[in-house]
Amino acid sequence: MNIYESFLDGMRKGLKIAVLNMLPNVVVAFVFIKALQVTGLLDAIGNIFSPIMQIFHLPGEAVAVLLSTILSAGGGIGAAAGLYSHEVLNSVHLSILMPAIFLMGAQIQYVGRILGVIDIAPKHFPVLFLISIINAVLAMLTMAYLIV
Amino acid sequence: MNSAPRLQDKQVAWYSYVILLLVIMFFSGVLKSSDSWWGFIDFTTLNGMYGTIAEQSNFLGKGGFGAMYGFLFAFSLIPGIMLALGIVEVAERLDALRAAQKLLTPVLRPLLGLPGAAGLALITCLQSSDAGAAMTKELYDQNLLTEKERLIFAAFQFSSGSTITVYLSMGVSLFPFLSVSHLIPLAVILFYKAVGTNLMRLYLNFAGCNNIPE
Repeated sequence: MNIYESFLDGMRKGLKIAVLNMLPNVVVAFVFIKALQVTGLLDAIGNIFSPIMQIFHLPGEAVAVLLSTILSAGGGIGAAAGLYSHEVLNSVHLSILMPAIFLMGAQIQYVGRILGVIDIAPKHFPVLFLISIINAVLAMLTMAYLIV
Repeated sequence: MNSAPRLQDKQVAWYSYVILLLVIMFFSGVLKSSDSWWGFIDFTTLNGMYGTIAEQSNFLGKGGFGAMYGFLFAFSLIPGIMLALGIVEVAERLDALRAAQKLLTPVLRPLLGLPGAAGLALITCLQSSDAGAAMTKELYDQNLLTEKERLIFAAFQFSSGSTITVYLSMGVSLFPFLSVSHLIPLAVILFYKAVGTNLMRLYLNFAGCNNIPE
């Protein structure tokens, strides 16, 4: 058992995940947010979703984070960081969104990587998606009303 | 290749529990201190910080946006991800994950409706969704999980896959901007993973899924 070797192994794993998974997802999310902002769609989304997102004490634009995260958690994180840098979200908003980003994160990828590997029949996919979304909604309510 | 022994219980040394406790403390920040020797057992201390440029901001600068800023932002996160996964790897090598499994096994049935045999796969899936899913398939193939239990377990794994790894690698970027300790969202995630698992139990018990074998 070589602890030093495993520490380096883990670091290499981290470097690989960071460069190949996290970095491209985050860059895409920043581009996405900038494009939404320039086209004026970000404001439009903000207005449309504002009544729903208000329930979670979030601005309407926060819905962009939730949509991005379904594709990849890195995308959701990037969208959140992008909106934070544009001062659309503040640190309380980020805290409310944080658990939801992961609970409904990367669902599209996980259909293959988790459900496919375990051999879950496709007829059960809708209820599994629904449970993840319920988890995320309950987590946002918990953060908004009990914690932040 | 016979992989059955991998899924079964193995003795866990006393030091693995100590390592588990240390790792939890390392990421929780409870030992954060600038003037005590134990201050090194803290993720944010060891992760450090970037120096300032023009006494204002670090190399990310101010007012950046788009792909260029996104790249620099993502780049700035790499050391934290490397450190976090390095520590997790060492913890795994020292059997801290097995220690966690030992502690969890007795509560799996009442809390999640899963058999004790699922303990290792459960701990593993928090670290790697791919490894967790592969082990779950093995458990089912070896008749250690029923079809219902497999669906219940899938609900646990599907929401926030690779929880710890993804939270520490992707989530780390938002840690400095959160208004709460970064362990609170993680605790909320784990809590709702368990809630969602029980929603699946309820669904299977009441939604007319009697055609699924126990």
